[in-house]
Amino acid sequence: MKFAGLKSVENAHEESVWAVTWVPATETRPALLLTGSLDETVKLWRPDDMQLERTNTGHCLGVVSVAAHPSGIIAASASLDSFVRVFDVDTNASIATLEASPSEVWQMQFDPKGTTLAVAGGGSASVKLWDTATWNLIATLSIPRPEGLKPTDKSSSKKFVLSVAWSPDGRRIACGSMDGTISVFDVTRAKFLHHLEGHFMPVRSLVYSPVDPRVLFSASDDTHVHMYDAEGKSLVTAMSGHASWVLSVDASPDGAAITTGSSDRTVKLWDLNMRAAMQSMTNHTDQVWGVSFRPLGGRVVSVSDDKSISLYEYS
Amino acid sequence: MTFVKRALQVHPSCPGAIRLGIGLCRYKLGQLGKARQAFQRALQLDPENVEALVALAVMDLQANEAAGIRKGMEKMQRAFEIYPYCAMALNYLANHFFFTGQHFLVEQLTETALAVTNHGPTKSHSYYNLARSYHSKGDYEKAGLYYMASVKEINKPHEFIFPYYGFFVVSIQDSYNVSFVICSTASCPPPPPPQIITWVSGTGLGQVQLKLGDFRSALTNFEKVLEIYPDNCETLKALGHIYVQLGQIEKAQELLRKAAKIDPRDAQVAFIDLGELLISSDTGAALDAFKTARTLLKKAGEEVPIEVLNNIGVIHFEKGEFEHFVLCVFFWVMEFVYLSLTPDSFDVLVVQSAHQSFKDALGDGIWLTLLDSKTKTYVIDASASMLQFKDMQLFHRFENDGNHVELPWNKVTVLFNLARLLEQIHDTVAASVLYRLILFKVDYVDAYLRLAAIAKARNNLQLSIELVNEALKVNGKYPNALSMLGDLELKNDDWVKAKETFRAASDATDGKDSYATLSLLNIHLICLVGFGKGNWNYFAALRNEKRAPKLEATHLEKAKELYTRDDKSQSGSGSGKAKPGLDFAMATQVIVQHTSNLYAANGAGVVLAEKGQFDVSKDLFTQVQEAASGSVFVQMPDVWINLAHVYFAQGNFALAMKMYQNCLRKFYYNTDAQILLYLARTHYEAEQWQDCKKSLLRAIHLAPSNYTLRFDAGVAMQKFSASTLQKTRRTADEVRSTVAELENAVRVFSHLSAASNLHLHGFDEKKINTHVEYCKHLLDAAKIHREAAEREEQQNRQRQEAARQAALAEEARRKAEEQKKYLEQWRSSTPASKRRERSENDDDEVGHSEKRRRKGGKRRKKDKSSRSHYETEYAEADMMDYREEPEDEDASMNYREPIGQMNDQDDDVEENANDRLAAAGLEDSDVDDEMAPSITAARRRQALSESDDDEPFERQLRDNTDELQDSDGELRENDHKSNGGAALDDD
Repeated sequence: MKFAGLKSVENAHEESVWAVTWVPATETRPALLLTGSLDETVKLWRPDDMQLERTNTGHCLGVVSVAAHPSGIIAASASLDSFVRVFDVDTNASIATLEASPSEVWQMQFDPKGTTLAVAGGGSASVKLWDTATWNLIATLSIPRPEGLKPTDKSSSKKFVLSVAWSPDGRRIACGSMDGTISVFDVTRAKFLHHLEGHFMPVRSLVYSPVDPRVLFSASDDTHVHMYDAEGKSLVTAMSGHASWVLSVDASPDGAAITTGSSDRTVKLWDLNMRAAMQSMTNHTDQVWGVSFRPLGGRVVSVSDDKSISLYEYS
Repeated sequence: MTFVKRALQVHPSCPGAIRLGIGLCRYKLGQLGKARQAFQRALQLDPENVEALVALAVMDLQANEAAGIRKGMEKMQRAFEIYPYCAMALNYLANHFFFTGQHFLVEQLTETALAVTNHGPTKSHSYYNLARSYHSKGDYEKAGLYYMASVKEINKPHEFIFPYYGFFVVSIQDSYNVSFVICSTASCPPPPPPQIITWVSGTGLGQVQLKLGDFRSALTNFEKVLEIYPDNCETLKALGHIYVQLGQIEKAQELLRKAAKIDPRDAQVAFIDLGELLISSDTGAALDAFKTARTLLKKAGEEVPIEVLNNIGVIHFEKGEFEHFVLCVFFWVMEFVYLSLTPDSFDVLVVQSAHQSFKDALGDGIWLTLLDSKTKTYVIDASASMLQFKDMQLFHRFENDGNHVELPWNKVTVLFNLARLLEQIHDTVAASVLYRLILFKVDYVDAYLRLAAIAKARNNLQLSIELVNEALKVNGKYPNALSMLGDLELKNDDWVKAKETFRAASDATDGKDSYATLSLLNIHLICLVGFGKGNWNYFAALRNEKRAPKLEATHLEKAKELYTRDDKSQSGSGSGKAKPGLDFAMATQVIVQHTSNLYAANGAGVVLAEKGQFDVSKDLFTQVQEAASGSVFVQMPDVWINLAHVYFAQGNFALAMKMYQNCLRKFYYNTDAQILLYLARTHYEAEQWQDCKKSLLRAIHLAPSNYTLRFDAGVAMQKFSASTLQKTRRTADEVRSTVAELENAVRVFSHLSAASNLHLHGFDEKKINTHVEYCKHLLDAAKIHREAAEREEQQNRQRQEAARQAALAEEARRKAEEQKKYLEQWRSSTPASKRRERSENDDDEVGHSEKRRRKGGKRRKKDKSSRSHYETEYAEADMMDYREEPEDEDASMNYREPIGQMNDQDDDVEENANDRLAAAGLEDSDVDDEMAPSITAARRRQALSESDDDEPFERQLRDNTDELQDSDGELRENDHKSNGGAALDDD
């Protein structure tokens, strides 16, 4: 289990790169890479030679997240101005522009079947679900207010939703918030189930294990990565090793490893059997905002504030 | 091995001796399980086989579980009963009795052992046991002798490593230079205060003499030796040590340096020794020594390991003194080790070896199991994870599983240190397990505090407070705990409580604990800020102190009082408030002396800056910064920020930005939204709107729920747009981007306004709405501007085209004219030549007058000159023609222009062309500037009549500037609020 650096693109964007995802391969082309940056552009890369395929403009303020449909045909990008732009990957034709004012947009993810797009709604303390056929808002999963709090109470603002993740079976959604709590929802009933506690600082990234719909990984500013049993409400293990905020986490398709990107400028590879960091990549010179495993495995990509993109081989 | 095996196959029933052989082989190969099997088999065959018994016992002992030790000792005793002269068994037994404190038995046993064996290492072990026994009994003379004897017996120092019960012996290259690390077991009764570890180094004898305190005689002895062997490293080193003890550090250093020259291999050791010895008296010099050692090591190209890790693991300290400082010093050394080596990235090697050294020092035990995989099978219930760090279930369960949890009290310190190291390398999870293990057995205050600190770092304040309270239960007056509690209460916005806590902490140390005092002071400042919030900012709050309401006045009084108290205890570094000038001088004096004074000096700088004495405070901050960066123990990002603030206040934006950026990068991994806000503000003041916006967007990305940042971003965009629109000259592109920016701003503000409905932030809705309105107006205006600009652009394009055409036409005409002129000239020249011919003819004729001739000559001259003129003109025209083809139609049109004298006409043409170009707004900017505003003004008026609002635009513009100032104020206010925060953080 190790990472081997393959290629890095310096100055891939004009500004900090904040988001990255793999666009799955289609019949006509292999998998692509999608990156979003503070420079208000979204770029599409061919991962074998890291050649720029296309630059999408049209966002104002920085692009904070990108998500790809499991089919690989469409993708979504979201920026600080709270718009989500859905577009055709190959033609860059706009399909829809989603807005659910006044909620902001942070992390997004398509469900495994590709019928729904879940969007972390920031200060609205909710996750918005969009139908991918009609692009209508179909549900708002709100985190219930703690009881006994007046609606005007300031602490309610702490449930600021930053991250969202679908379970691999598509039945659960977990969302992480600024105060460190993770909320789990039943999607079919659109119902809040429970909180997962353990973090007390912002949870910026969440991912379910691709092989086990119960296992959830969370990355938090408290420098820890937690592994939860999302159904049993229990913290399986906490993994420490980063020197600063953990900004991004992704699980390998085989479920045996996770990778994290941190403000401490490293990308770490964690062995889930050992529950320990196996490797620490130090090629970035600034905070690493995004890490992502290729859905088919074998490749990992990371993006950073240093404007670069790095590709690794995972074996 | 294979031979033995084969033998075994041939004779399966052969005597135990062979089994024993196999066992030994396996043991050496590290296959402990198989070795054990072999030994057991041997014992079965021959229950009287002493060797097997001993070997098994040794293995049991090395497994180092309490049960194992007991079993091992039983076996040893059995072996002893069977054969009382087995040296190995004797040694182990002696070892055991040493730990149980039966020194008499130790001596007897080892003496017997010595009598019966000739084996070097065994003998050495025996001597060592004896030496230890005497050592702990305080009989240094005998101990010294036996240490010497032991050292003499060792050929390969590596064989002599006994990782038992915290007694670990590190051998360093030279067999004479075996250093014994010994826990001073004698005096500390359990439960132990932070335990002091003494590193007895160098040759036993010299050390013992040193121990005896007989420095003078030791000195003379060593000096005698040195006379005979001036190049004897050992002696040089020993003398160095003695000088250190006598306080003559310079001389010591000189000697050690000399030793280093003679034997560079040995030098690091010498310097490390020096450092060790200095730690108790002079930490600064100690660090220098360590640094020298480090460079020497590097020069020698050697690995860093054991020596440095010894520094980490062990500190020489006079027992009983400064107990609670021991740990501080320890941490310093530890931090030094990896900070100074590679400031940016940890020296993995060092950390690892340090890690290993602690583990060695600990020996085997439950902690190893805990650190390895076993713990991870225990799942902690997430709902109970609130108590994650208090959770002792782990150990109970562990015990229930049949594992014996035992923690020999003399290992607590080492374990604690290991945990501390783990914490430092960010392995917090493992560290917390170890701390809990300590707490499971002992009420160790610092472990509670560390756990509390971990919880605090993870923002789990509730748990952290609980843990500190636990610590306070153990020792209610422990100032560190009190200070921490105060801190936590502050974080929880519980100022009143915090104040009391800090006061208690301060009282507990009779006001000597500067941290508590400073914190107390800070609380008053916080209170000031808190009440100052009513005012427009922090600075104002401080400046208006005298006029401030009663409450503030009381707080201020107290703050002053505290400052003066601080003053007394710390040479007045903090009393800037009373006499800034005087204080400044004093503060600078004391800055370098003590770290806490750095903070005080920093505080003084803040006060000075608030008083507006930027130059003085800048000097102060710079000095603090230098001092702080020179010291590896002190991490003071605040002083960087303060310095940047001062630069900012002085209008030195470029430097301020640099400072902020460096600070962010150096201390915060670029994760501090607050500093980004400062940075953005600096950009804002420097009118770098785009940079300002980018910084703010970054800050938003880091702190998404901070709506203030969004507001500020909105303001920045608004300001950007307004400033572009106010510019006299702008391109259509600029205006377009302005419109886009304004749209963003409107979006941001309307978002904020919508969010304020949800009570997500504390903004005044009205204020946001005014911003929205204003931005919308601005946007409308901007759109018109954009249209105007676009139209203008279009027109410009048309005009340009026209101008170009005109220019072309001009060319054509000119060419035509040239041609015409040429023709004319040609025509005129023809008669001249005719005339000349004629005159020539006249010349020929005798009857022609001279006058006439002269005339003709004149004329000819003139003709010549004009011709040349025409020729050049023509050439020019030709050159131009070369570029553009004349258009006949235009040329014919232009022909109508009056043509007077040749030259004049030429000028006219040029002027005309210029005018035209100017009219087209191509070349002359003044003209353009005059025109454009009139156009836009007209359009503005038009736009206003169109817009719903009846107010004249000019008024809006004025409103807008007011509004902008307002928003500036807002930004500044935010800034200063946070500023206050930073100032609080300062100490």
